[in-house]
Amino acid sequence: MTASTARVSRVELTTLVLALVALGVSIYLTVEHYAAPNSLACPDTGAINCTKVTTSTWSEVGPVPLALLGALYFAAMSALCVPAAWRVTALDRVRVIGAAGGVATALYLVWVELFQVEAICLWCTVVHVASLALLVAVLWRVTGREPA
Amino acid sequence: MEGVSSSSTRPKRPAPLAGKPKGAALKDREAARRALAASARTRNNQRRRLVTVLAPIGAVLAVLAILVVVRATTSQDHAGKKTRAAAATVIAQVTGVPVAAFEAAGAPAKRSDTITATGGGALTDNGKARVLYVGAEYCPFCATERWPLIVALSRFGSWQGLKYSYSASSPEVFPDTSTFTFHGATYTSRYVSFTGVETATNRQVNGSYEPLDQLGADDGAIMKQYDPQGSIPFTDLGGRWVINGATYDPSVIHGRTHAEIAATLDKPGTASGKAIDSAANVLTAAICQSTGGQPVAVCTSPSVVAAGKTLP
Repeated sequence: MTASTARVSRVELTTLVLALVALGVSIYLTVEHYAAPNSLACPDTGAINCTKVTTSTWSEVGPVPLALLGALYFAAMSALCVPAAWRVTALDRVRVIGAAGGVATALYLVWVELFQVEAICLWCTVVHVASLALLVAVLWRVTGREPA
Repeated sequence: MEGVSSSSTRPKRPAPLAGKPKGAALKDREAARRALAASARTRNNQRRRLVTVLAPIGAVLAVLAILVVVRATTSQDHAGKKTRAAAATVIAQVTGVPVAAFEAAGAPAKRSDTITATGGGALTDNGKARVLYVGAEYCPFCATERWPLIVALSRFGSWQGLKYSYSASSPEVFPDTSTFTFHGATYTSRYVSFTGVETATNRQVNGSYEPLDQLGADDGAIMKQYDPQGSIPFTDLGGRWVINGATYDPSVIHGRTHAEIAATLDKPGTASGKAIDSAANVLTAAICQSTGGQPVAVCTSPSVVAAGKTLP
C-alpha cells in the first residue's frame, strides 16, 4: 500500500466513522422515542432540553419519528462510506448530494430548535455536527480523486 | 494532509551549467521548467480543492451564525416576559382552525366545573351578544383560557393586534405559559361584541404586578355579581354563562411555545389540540345561545351541538 493510498483510506475511514456515530445517536433517539421519551440522558437547563425537542410537534413527520428517518439516512450514508463503496467512483455524486442534504436538513432542524421549540437538544447537535463533518470529509475525498 | 505538496516534491532550481555538456544542461533546464509547471498546477488544484470544501462549510457557518444572532436578539423579549409581535403563521393557525378539527375534537372528555349558568338576563352591546373577559397577563389560568376563547371567537368574527405574551415566571404555578394578550387587540364581529380586560402585566414592580387596563364600573359590577371573590380569569358569555377559571388543564400547554401549541390545533389527536378545540366547542355552544344560533353553520355543527349538551 502506498503512502498516498494510506492517506486516502484515512479520509474514507473518517467518513465511515462519522456516519456510524450519527447512526448510533439516531438509533438511541429512536429507541428512546418509542420506549421512554422522557428519560433521555441530557441536562435540562432551560435552553438545553432534549426531551422538549424530541417530544415536540416537530419531532415527527406524520406518524414517523424524525430520529427513525435520521437512522435510515445515516445507515444509507454508512453504506456509501465503507471503503468498498468508495472504490465505486460513480457513487461520488450520490455521496455528495446525500451529505449536502443531511447538512441542509440539520440547518432546518436547528431553526426549528431555536425558533419553534425554543430549546436545544444536545444529542441532536451531535448528529448535526457529524453531518457537517461528514460533508467536509466527503467533499475532501471526492475532490482529491485523480481525474478519470 | 492528503495530497498537499511537500518540500520533497518541490522542484529544485536548475543546476549550474559549469562542467556539464551543453545538451545535458538544456535537458536539466527543461525538466526543471516542467517540474515548476507541474508544481503550479498542483498548487492550483489544491487551492481549488480547498475552496470547493471550505465554501459550503463557510456558508453553513454563516447561516448558523445568523440564526443564533437573531435568536439571541429576540430571546431577550422572552426572558423579559415582554409582549411581542406574534408570527403571522401562528395567528393564522389559531384563528383558522379547520372545521374538521373541531368536529374530530367534539366535546371535552370531562365536563368543566368552572362553567355555571347565571340564570340572569342577556349581556348585549348594540344588539350583539357581549362576551366579557377579565384577566391579567401574569395569570397562568388566564393564559390557558385565552387559547380556546380566541379560537371560539374566531368562528364569529376576526381578530387584529393579538400579541404573544407569557404568564408570570416561577414561583407562579405553570410559569411562563405561552399565550396572547387582549391588551391592544381588537375584535370585530357581526354577532358578538368582545371586551378583554387585562388588569395587570406580568412584570412586578415593588412586589406587585404593574396595573394595565382599567375595569369599567359596569363590568366591575357584573364581575362582582358572579365572581364576588374577584378571581381571574372571569369570562361572561352573553350573560347566560360565566366561567371562573380555565376550562381545561393548564399542564396540557405548559412548557410549549406558541408555535408548538398552535401547530396542534388542527391535530385533535394531540393532547393540546383536543383540549383547546373541544373547550372552544363548549365556548362556541354557549355563545351561540346568545347570538340566536348565528352563524347557523357554526351553531348547528355536530361538535358544537354535542359540546352544548355538556353545559350545566
